[in-house]
Amino acid sequence: MVYAIYLAMLIGAAGLYLMLPSPRRRPVVLGVLLGLGGLAGLMIYLLDWAGEHRPTIYYYAFTVIAIASAVRVITHKRPVYSALYFILVVLAVAGQFLLLEAEFMAFAMVIIYAGAILVTYVFVIMLATLPRSSHDEEEAPLYDRAARQPLGAVLMGFALLAVVLHVIFAAPGEIERPYPAEQGLAVVQSVPGRLSEKKLTTLLRSAGLIEKGEKVVAVDLKAGSATVQPVEDGQPTRTVTIPEQLAGAQVGNMDRVGLNLFESHTLGIELAGVILLLAMVGAIVIARIVVKDEGAEEEGTKAISA
Amino acid sequence: METIDAITLNHYLLTGAALFTLGMIGFVARRNLIVIFLCTEMMFQGIVLTLVAFSRYHGNFDGQAFVIFVLTIAAAEAALALGLVVYLYRRKNTLDAEAWSDMKG
Repeated sequence: MVYAIYLAMLIGAAGLYLMLPSPRRRPVVLGVLLGLGGLAGLMIYLLDWAGEHRPTIYYYAFTVIAIASAVRVITHKRPVYSALYFILVVLAVAGQFLLLEAEFMAFAMVIIYAGAILVTYVFVIMLATLPRSSHDEEEAPLYDRAARQPLGAVLMGFALLAVVLHVIFAAPGEIERPYPAEQGLAVVQSVPGRLSEKKLTTLLRSAGLIEKGEKVVAVDLKAGSATVQPVEDGQPTRTVTIPEQLAGAQVGNMDRVGLNLFESHTLGIELAGVILLLAMVGAIVIARIVVKDEGAEEEGTKAISA
Repeated sequence: METIDAITLNHYLLTGAALFTLGMIGFVARRNLIVIFLCTEMMFQGIVLTLVAFSRYHGNFDGQAFVIFVLTIAAAEAALALGLVVYLYRRKNTLDAEAWSDMKG
């Protein structure tokens, strides 16, 4: 049954081959139909394979959007549209991250990829593309109209994809989980007093467990209790038990990613900073030109004198 | 964070593998330098999705921390690659990758 993957891949490969840009006339509509057929075949196989354990419908929606836009990125003849379809890919992947409860990553992807990197791409496309008067596709330069060895690329790519999917779906047994789970929470609990007392004060006050004016001065997450300082100075402190749902609510996805990042990958962060600096310097050096603005100056003086 | 089972994990691995492969096909088959680099970004998308899915499967945040490094590399790569593209475009006034096929040795 797993060999149905190979059939779906073959249909998809034929469709993508017909969709790739070519100077000769190709039956593109047939290619689109074949591509959709391959995608549908894959999805039907997936539904059948998962049985009762299907993920939510949103998974399928985001996957179809991501793959369809990815195909459009590599088949569109105009690079600006490729970049715009790539934004759609990023948004679909961010949606999948939300399904995987990686909220911080989802928003980071949208902000960094769709916001920053793609804007750079669009700017360079505008800088480095010859102006075209009409919207006729035949006027696009040859390197946008012709793919390089499309048959080889498509066959190789889909053969790789088919084999990878075969390995994924035919793998016997479960993948082992040798890593400690709940790592972020463990880090939080191993160091008492790390969570901000301010946040806990707000949470406990809204739950009605402490009076107005009282402040949390120490947290012991292991025992699940907090030490509270009363309103007036000099009075003895008292201990409040933190309800379980509050203790869980304090550590969100962002807290845990941040804790993991700074506990286990401190050197990596420093190196990332150095890499970004190097890239910035390198980009400036590579793209630098000596601007001759003599003409502009003359025009400026003309404008002023006139 | 509750972990996901292997069947759900495989779904996300499928999406990641498909995105990676489509990016690779585009990287090999397209001739426009900008689209080629866009395709490398698409391969990053597939990898990032796989990393986050495994992070969820193992209930471990190393995968998500790695995504931040992938994003860093992607940003650095975009800046350098686009600088190079602008430079090459000024040299030959074309974005065709084939125009540089005489670079040998």
